[in-house]
Amino acid sequence: MRILLVEDDTLLRAQLRTALQGAGYTVDEADNGRDAQFLGETEAVDAVVLDLGLPVVDGLTVLKRWRAEGRNMPVLILTARDNWHEKVAGIDAGADDYLTKPFHLEELLARLRALIRRASGQASAVLQCGDWSLDTRSGRVTCAGQPVALTAHEYKVLDYLMHRPGVLVSRAELTEHIYAQDFDRDSNTIEVFVGRLRKKLSSLAPSSSASARIETVRGMGYRLVPP
Amino acid sequence: MNRQGLPPAAPLHWSRSLRLRLLALTLAGVAVAMVLAGLVLSGLFREHVQQQFQAALQLQLDQITARLEFDAQGQPVIAAEALSDPRWLKPYSGLYWQVDAMAPDGRGRAGVLRSRSLWDTSLALQVDALADGAVHVHEVVGPQGAPLLVLERTVRAEGVNAARWRLIVAADLQATQAATARFTGVLALSLAVLLVLLAAAAWAQVAVGLKPLEALQRAVQDVQEARASQLQGSFPAEVQPLVDDFNAVLRRHGEVVERARTQAGNLAHALKTPLAVLENAARARPPTDGQELAALVREQVLVARRHIDWHLARSRVAASAHLPGQRTALQPALEGLVRVMNKVHADRVLDISIAPPQVPLFFAGEAQDLQEMLGNLLDNACKWARSAVRLQAQELSPEVDATQRQLVVTVEDDGPGIDAAQRAQALERGVRLDETVPGTGLGLAIVQDLAALYGGRLDLEPAGLGGLRASLTLPAASSG
Repeated sequence: MRILLVEDDTLLRAQLRTALQGAGYTVDEADNGRDAQFLGETEAVDAVVLDLGLPVVDGLTVLKRWRAEGRNMPVLILTARDNWHEKVAGIDAGADDYLTKPFHLEELLARLRALIRRASGQASAVLQCGDWSLDTRSGRVTCAGQPVALTAHEYKVLDYLMHRPGVLVSRAELTEHIYAQDFDRDSNTIEVFVGRLRKKLSSLAPSSSASARIETVRGMGYRLVPP
Repeated sequence: MNRQGLPPAAPLHWSRSLRLRLLALTLAGVAVAMVLAGLVLSGLFREHVQQQFQAALQLQLDQITARLEFDAQGQPVIAAEALSDPRWLKPYSGLYWQVDAMAPDGRGRAGVLRSRSLWDTSLALQVDALADGAVHVHEVVGPQGAPLLVLERTVRAEGVNAARWRLIVAADLQATQAATARFTGVLALSLAVLLVLLAAAAWAQVAVGLKPLEALQRAVQDVQEARASQLQGSFPAEVQPLVDDFNAVLRRHGEVVERARTQAGNLAHALKTPLAVLENAARARPPTDGQELAALVREQVLVARRHIDWHLARSRVAASAHLPGQRTALQPALEGLVRVMNKVHADRVLDISIAPPQVPLFFAGEAQDLQEMLGNLLDNACKWARSAVRLQAQELSPEVDATQRQLVVTVEDDGPGIDAAQRAQALERGVRLDETVPGTGLGLAIVQDLAALYGGRLDLEPAGLGGLRASLTLPAASSG
């Protein structure tokens, strides 16, 4: 999952980046409204953490422009003042949730998880597909109750697919949502990650009939197929 | 403080009212002028009539004098037939003549000769030392009690030892007195009518002249009762500068408050980001490494954050709670907050409903303060509710004073509620009844404090739905 982080305070941005990356997200950053607007318009982000008090263009304006252009990714706004007026204005401009500074990073992560889950139509924090299970809160992946150890990139691929069971996901789309904007992308590595995932998960599955699988659609991409 | 303004109307003493003062002064002046004019005019008239009357009588005296002759014994004789005026002959006609003999000692004999009109009476005049040729005028009471104007002069028969005689003519004054009285009556009536007309004119003048002041009072009342933020309307040149100055003061006041509010907000903004950084850093440290320091930082950050929230909210309201002319529609504010809650609590499928008010309600205060209070109450209710939150607003029927209008907003939830013992505690600063739900534990205390600054209050009680019912009472502004 790819998060656009927009915050002008360098220290707070660094803390948020660390926390988001620690939670398994790919992070793009912007420290002003103009850059934020550009990234939100051009990059395939899954959610945005948006500070409202921004230089160049304020956060509310950026949010309104995104929504006017039909960009409907979930947006969590950060308001510095405990100001209901700002909250109402933010929600009316198209925000999905707000957090008042100062906030606990755990709460930010929880809210963000909920937003992403809601956006992909998932009701529970624990994503289930057959005997595969992914807990978005702890990042724990199990297969038939057995914990599965995954690398960060493997987790990101599985997380993205588990949010969209049965949906065909192109390799390019996966790449976009797993790597940050300035990362040197090589779509061949996706194949490697998918291969490793299949191996780790199937080794633990008691029977292939109860197990989900990641299907390759030749020339198109991948699909997570429930049993 | 009486936020809605004007003290109850006491019976007006005349010196406290411009209108009564102007009217009283004008009427007093006009009345004095009328009385003086009446006195002078009637005096002039009386004098003129009397002079005419006296001049006519003088002619009669001269005629009598001309007709006076003396016989051989030196006794006076008047050829009465030769006198032209028939009134000399008619008894008690009101025109009389008489000749008195004057003894050397001055006593003499009255009525030696008399006009027939005197009939059997004579005029009794007091002794009067008359120089030769001089004419004296008296007023006496004559026959039948009639007031008479009397002219007298002395004449002397020719000869050495001639006696002195007094010639008297008299005429009844009643006719002239009646004419004077009639004139005075008509004059008084005319002056009274004039007085009434002038009083009416003065009243109209004062009423028209003071009209702008009434408009000004209404304009000020509109500002007081939050129907306008400035004095509206155009006023005469004498009043407009005052209105302009007052509006300038209102504007400046508003600007100062707005600036202070922005400053406070900026300060909070400036402090909160570093606080967030500090707190996150403290939380990020591994539990074994510098645990005490991390705990200290976390605790102090929370304290600092509470201070900021508290003082920010307070300073904002303290500055604006007593600013006149503020008015915020309640329904849009509620709807905006409900939109926020529906989105923020989208996971929980809360049923948040607003009972539609019968009439549009207005809070006599600032929009952000209203949102702050309602937002905290609603947020609290949504945090605790199981499935439903009910909002209702209504205007309270005035208890004491119709100018002190109040509205009450109730927020009910179906959550666990707060038991009686903990309700008072819930309103204390910084007390959190449940540490597991995010928050600073300031929400309800801030609401209570802000409401108090506006002269309202916050009451907590068990809700019909099962949870907590928070009733927020606030000053209302009229919808007009």
